[in-house]
Amino acid sequence: MNISTKTKSTWCPGCYNFQILAGVKRVLNEKIKSEKDRQKWMIVSGIGCHGKIFDYLNLNGIHTLHGRVLPTCLGMKIGNPNLNVIGFSGDGDAYAEGMEHLIHAARYNSNFKYIVHNNQVFALTVGQPTPTTEIGFKDKTTPLGVKIPPLNPIRLMLASGASFVARVFSDIKQIEFVLKEALKHKGFAFIEVLQPCLIFHPDIRYKKAFYSLEESGHDKSSFEQAWKKAQEFDYNTIEKIPLGIFYQTKKPVFEEHFEQLKKLKAKNIGWRDVKR
Amino acid sequence: MKKINILFGGEAGQGPNILTHILGESLVKQGYYIFYSRDYQSLIRGGHNFNVLTISDEPVYSNEKKIDMIIALDENTIKIHEKNLGKNGIILRGKDKNMYFAGRMFKILGLDFKILEKELKELKKRFDENLKEARKGYENAEKQFKLDAPLRKKSAKFENGNQAIAKGAIQSGLDLYYAYPMTPATSVLRELAEKQTEKNFLTFELENEIAVINAAIGSAITGARAMVGTSGGGFDLMAESLSLAGMINIPLVIFLSQRPGPATGVPTYTAQGDLNTARCTGHGEFPRLLVAPGDLNESEELTNQAFYFAEKYKIPSIIINDKHLGESYYTETEDSKMIKIKKSTPLARHSGNETDENTASSCKQEIVEKRVKERMEKMEEIRKESKKFKTYKIYGNAESRNLIVFWGSTKGAILDSIKDLDCKALQILYLKPFPVKVKNELKKASNLILIENNETGQLGDLIAEKTGVFFKETNKILKYNGRPFLSDELKKEIEKRLE
Repeated sequence: MNISTKTKSTWCPGCYNFQILAGVKRVLNEKIKSEKDRQKWMIVSGIGCHGKIFDYLNLNGIHTLHGRVLPTCLGMKIGNPNLNVIGFSGDGDAYAEGMEHLIHAARYNSNFKYIVHNNQVFALTVGQPTPTTEIGFKDKTTPLGVKIPPLNPIRLMLASGASFVARVFSDIKQIEFVLKEALKHKGFAFIEVLQPCLIFHPDIRYKKAFYSLEESGHDKSSFEQAWKKAQEFDYNTIEKIPLGIFYQTKKPVFEEHFEQLKKLKAKNIGWRDVKR
Repeated sequence: MKKINILFGGEAGQGPNILTHILGESLVKQGYYIFYSRDYQSLIRGGHNFNVLTISDEPVYSNEKKIDMIIALDENTIKIHEKNLGKNGIILRGKDKNMYFAGRMFKILGLDFKILEKELKELKKRFDENLKEARKGYENAEKQFKLDAPLRKKSAKFENGNQAIAKGAIQSGLDLYYAYPMTPATSVLRELAEKQTEKNFLTFELENEIAVINAAIGSAITGARAMVGTSGGGFDLMAESLSLAGMINIPLVIFLSQRPGPATGVPTYTAQGDLNTARCTGHGEFPRLLVAPGDLNESEELTNQAFYFAEKYKIPSIIINDKHLGESYYTETEDSKMIKIKKSTPLARHSGNETDENTASSCKQEIVEKRVKERMEKMEEIRKESKKFKTYKIYGNAESRNLIVFWGSTKGAILDSIKDLDCKALQILYLKPFPVKVKNELKKASNLILIENNETGQLGDLIAEKTGVFFKETNKILKYNGRPFLSDELKKEIEKRLE
């Protein structure tokens, strides 16, 4: 079963989005062997360069509006809790236009997975700063340079009660590892992917600061450790940048709070199949 | 029998609602026709709230300005409403318990105590205490009104418009209802939330209206029958996503309950100021249905038709009502006519971008043009099929040269006020697609009168746009103080304009 499409990519040559796409495909190709399997998966993407991933994955779902990936994913899980849903957002989508949904998605803990392609810039609108762009960044709309310190999404997710919080680099293997772990997790999984934009945010000095949480003996079940690790990189100054799973815990899953949804889950159907 | 208007007033929390409802419900069971409206402020305790209940032995759908009895749970009620008290009007005052008032009220109206006793039993709360109080009140009052024996033998529903919307949604096979609390739409959420377990569907409140509509879109993509509900401000927040829903191929039903705006306006009162926004909101051009009920059965039926068109053509359907219709109680003896709707949305790939045959984003001119045509052809199909339903209705004297034109909740006061007048009335139920056929009706009349609960006459403008027929400025009866029309007051305004 091929989940690729024939659509010619419009990402820039060498774009790190290709790494994310390849990593996602590796994982899903293992899961999706038949048309029947394919019908069990849904993807949602937002607006920005990341959003084009929808065109390159032959799965059902929607390439939706800017910032609205999360409530759409939640609606899909409520519509049919047996569907596997993966949401893709950019940093503009997740941390600017749709910020309110991010906090609540962590609270709801619905069982879908969320990948944020964070290139620290609005790339498709040709290079404006986002909420995670470093101080001093300049472009034509911000000639005086960014003045406001960036947001720390990892800390935000930990504080909001997310049950799975990870950050990786846009590298096939890292994507593959973290998505597999996320799919095993019961509940909302937040995965941030650090992704340089070759055109508008090409600085890859941070590569030198990377180290693996998994290899450094980090205890992902400890909220305190996760909270400390999350502070090591403030998205502004580059010293140490931990990558991997910061935190994972068991929390009640949204779909399990409601008898109506539990019934659908047990019968392996969605509302569509409920006869009235 | 002359109509009797009873006003129940007091501070919020004193409980005029329960008194009003007990009287209303018991009289409907006795065979009378009851209409009552609620006037309340945006506060939880204190202030001044009141309900007006109208009793008649023939169908009644509105209140009058003239009041026959004031039940005052505080002095403020008397101060404010005494000026509308008719000759031989009665004031019941005091700080006694509610059921004491109920007892006195029943005696004054000459109703058997057993009727009240039965109602108290059905309340299932503090029966013994309530009965004692009620009996005391009944014994401490004199009969002062004579109600004619009711003519109606048929049983009747006694509900408010929002209950009818909820009922219509359930009967249309609702799976999911999403909302964020906003008066006056919230009572639909409350009504549905209460019934979700019994009827096996789900209601959920999300972080804001944008999340609400996008969750509904997500659910609709999976093939679920989804609906959202809100008022003007929340509807504005949904606007961008409404445009998305109009672009992709999914069914979505939106309930919009109007209150006076702009901005926060007067949050607990009534208006018809959102016709233009419901009809036009959302960027770009896309198909939608917009229907406006004016009573209980129309609320059920048009909700059902909104689901029908949404599912068949995969479009957003909007049901528009207002606080007056949504929260007033009506007596209805007829059954609504509902159709069964099969679920038919396949799992598929959707996009807010224009897409090619491989469902990938495309900016090719042939593709763009093709997609626009495909979408707008749906509108043409809907226009044709809408003729199967009552897209407009005619009332009154069919031969009259005077034609009153209206939409939505003003129906009650209009039908009540034209009973003895030489006029005909035209109600528009489908605002999009607009039934252009009404042009014939408009042309036949020599004197057109427009009645709306807004300042600009939005239906009048829509009619002018669609038919080229204009209303004289002096023939527009427009009320925009947040209050509904009262039939005696409205009758005078209409009489001034008759030919």
